[in-house]
Amino acid sequence: MLFPTVTFAVFFMVVLPTSWALMSRPRLWRIFIVAASYVFYGWWDWRFVFLLAASTVVNHVVAVAIYRSTATRSRKALCALGVAFDLGLLGYFKYTDFFLSSFDNIFGTSWLANVTLPVGVSFYTFMAISYVVDTYRGELVPASFSRFAVFQAFFPHLVAGPIVRASELLPQLEEPRSPRRVDTSRAFFLIVSGLFLKVVIANHLSTHIVDNVFEAPKQHSSLEVLVAVYGYAVQIFADFCGYTNIAIGIALLLGFEFPQNFASPYAAVTLQDFWRRWHMTLSRWLRDYLYIPLGGNRKGRIFTYRNLLLTMLLGGLWHGAAWTFVVWGGLHGIGLAIERALGWRPHTRAQQWLGRVITFHIVCFAWIFFRADSFTLAWQMIERLFTAWGRSSPLVTTSVVLAILVGVLVQYIRPPVLSGLLAGFQRLSLVAQAACVAVALTVINALGPVGVAPFIYFRF
Amino acid sequence: MLPAYRGILVLFLALVLAALLEADGLRKQATTQPAGVQRDVAMAVTKPLDSFSRALHLTTPRHDLLVAIGRGNEDEIDTQVHFTLPPPAGPLPNKIATGPKPKEHAAKPTKPLYTPAHPLRVWVAGDSLAEVPGEALQRVGGAIDVVGVESRLSTGLARPDLYNWFVRLAQAPQQLHPTVAVLSFGADDAHNYMTGVPAGKTIGPLGSSSWDAEYERRANGVTAELNAKGIYVVWLGLPNTDHHGFRESFPVVNGILEDVVAKHKAMSTFVDTWKLLSDKHGHYASYLRVNGQLELMRLSDGTHYTAAAGDLIAQQILKQLSTVYRLEG
Repeated sequence: MLFPTVTFAVFFMVVLPTSWALMSRPRLWRIFIVAASYVFYGWWDWRFVFLLAASTVVNHVVAVAIYRSTATRSRKALCALGVAFDLGLLGYFKYTDFFLSSFDNIFGTSWLANVTLPVGVSFYTFMAISYVVDTYRGELVPASFSRFAVFQAFFPHLVAGPIVRASELLPQLEEPRSPRRVDTSRAFFLIVSGLFLKVVIANHLSTHIVDNVFEAPKQHSSLEVLVAVYGYAVQIFADFCGYTNIAIGIALLLGFEFPQNFASPYAAVTLQDFWRRWHMTLSRWLRDYLYIPLGGNRKGRIFTYRNLLLTMLLGGLWHGAAWTFVVWGGLHGIGLAIERALGWRPHTRAQQWLGRVITFHIVCFAWIFFRADSFTLAWQMIERLFTAWGRSSPLVTTSVVLAILVGVLVQYIRPPVLSGLLAGFQRLSLVAQAACVAVALTVINALGPVGVAPFIYFRF
Repeated sequence: MLPAYRGILVLFLALVLAALLEADGLRKQATTQPAGVQRDVAMAVTKPLDSFSRALHLTTPRHDLLVAIGRGNEDEIDTQVHFTLPPPAGPLPNKIATGPKPKEHAAKPTKPLYTPAHPLRVWVAGDSLAEVPGEALQRVGGAIDVVGVESRLSTGLARPDLYNWFVRLAQAPQQLHPTVAVLSFGADDAHNYMTGVPAGKTIGPLGSSSWDAEYERRANGVTAELNAKGIYVVWLGLPNTDHHGFRESFPVVNGILEDVVAKHKAMSTFVDTWKLLSDKHGHYASYLRVNGQLELMRLSDGTHYTAAAGDLIAQQILKQLSTVYRLEG
């Protein structure tokens, strides 16, 4: 079930009032919300509901066993078992064909398994790993089974994040949420802005320039290739930030607070700054469960660079089972290591603007490998950037340039402007608020292309 | 911070108002759904909604906005199957309208020559399966000039209400002047339901003689219309797939397309993607070995093509086109 569809609107208009009606009866509420989340998930392929349920059962059993165990060795063994189960699940569904095809190509064998990738598996598996590891570290007391089932399957974050931590969501499940104080203004703002980013900006760029150019770079001029690279940078931001805005807004209407996932990433002044602003819930997951356990920056310079590189390579592989994603992660890892080696920190205003421009272009360059279907196409994109200037560029239209500009400029909207807008919205009468939301939905729907394109991050 | 009930009320009112403002679009969306309970419910809900909204002129702002951005006819529902030639389609004209064409009964057939300086104009059109082969043909370059790739998700010849390809297939030749049309239809047609069926006629389920006859009428009509304008037609067959239902239904469409091509031998060809993308045992394969390397051929849905599959299909199209055209460079 996709958020920007009539089907989801109907689903949510049933779930939202029912959820509040049952809120005062927590046990019943949890059963209802898990059932609703399974319906939401099963809309793609009902068979994978069993996989999600199995992941919940196993991780809960392991976490409880870790908590009850007093011996360090058995705790460690149980934690390893839980993480191995999760990584095994992820590895089987996401990487089997990737590794087997690489193996087959080297050794000429035919061991392919043709495994179907369940939607959202990367996200809910990472949440489960953090639950088990936090319990092992003694930072978490395992919740009841039904609370953990809600934590893992809660439909707003289920298929594409944000990757919520147990310590963020489980305390919210301890007590019924108060129906008296819901941040509806922010929720509507997030939902409407998310729909605008996804339906208008991301879909427009995807259908009007990005897909065409990335599939056949040799057919396009250097200007078209350049604009397509910028276009993809904006498209992926609008697509993913749009999705998480909607997810966070929906959770808010249900009474729950999710962590922020984007903070104007293209306004970052360094690569390190970029990763503090882009897909923030993944960045901190990689930091806390990979980079720091590898040693972080505690074992000297060389090990720090190695850890940065390893973390980013694995982060790249998390995004997709292809070597192009590994290269994308590697480019970021190398960039972060160089930045750290140079110790460059922009201080003055001019340095910060220079940093923004350089960081944005490094990020855009790395996106070429992220988006291209193969290394051949990625190299063609890069080569074409320099070899076809002066040709006609019919794909570089006013609407495309405008969409890119809007996508970049929204990064620079200052928080007081947004607060003012929200305060103004909050002062409106109920009917006026409804009218504003309705007009916004109508305009977004009319401006967006026909049909609903899936979100980019669904395939990760 | 406001009470939850207020949020629910605002959302409910906003969705009702948005539904009224977008009633035309919702009506079209309901009409174009696959036949079934969901469509029946959507039709029952949107009919009074649309009437009410139109009566109050609430659909006007959306219509005006669509007109302003050049998409004024987006909410129109056109179920007509438009053919200009009388059924059955008449014989091909002796003189072909545009460009050098293969001659059907020439004693010594000379293939028209196309080069990078004088390329073969190819138009690719169809459902979502048309996109990747179209892009692969773009990558070929040289003597092939792809004048357009028009891929419209979930459309086909069975549901002109969703998108009327018959209208588009009549317009495109005047606008794009292609010499060859590569068509990929059928993946979204292989269901029991069709719109635009001639008055008084009913059709049975997919694979019944009446369904086959009606679909053949449409595919045949499209081929004849394009041929009459001097356009050579390449029909892309439907591929073997990981989806059990499609493995049953796609061969029905392929059989019809092959029959149509057999009737227009001189001016059309059928590309057997089922065979091309199956393994050596004829089974579905996600990966195939190309030049010794395993290449992923399908996306995770087990049906849509990857770029590598597009390249294979494009090579096969070129191979078949080279029997009627000389492509150099």
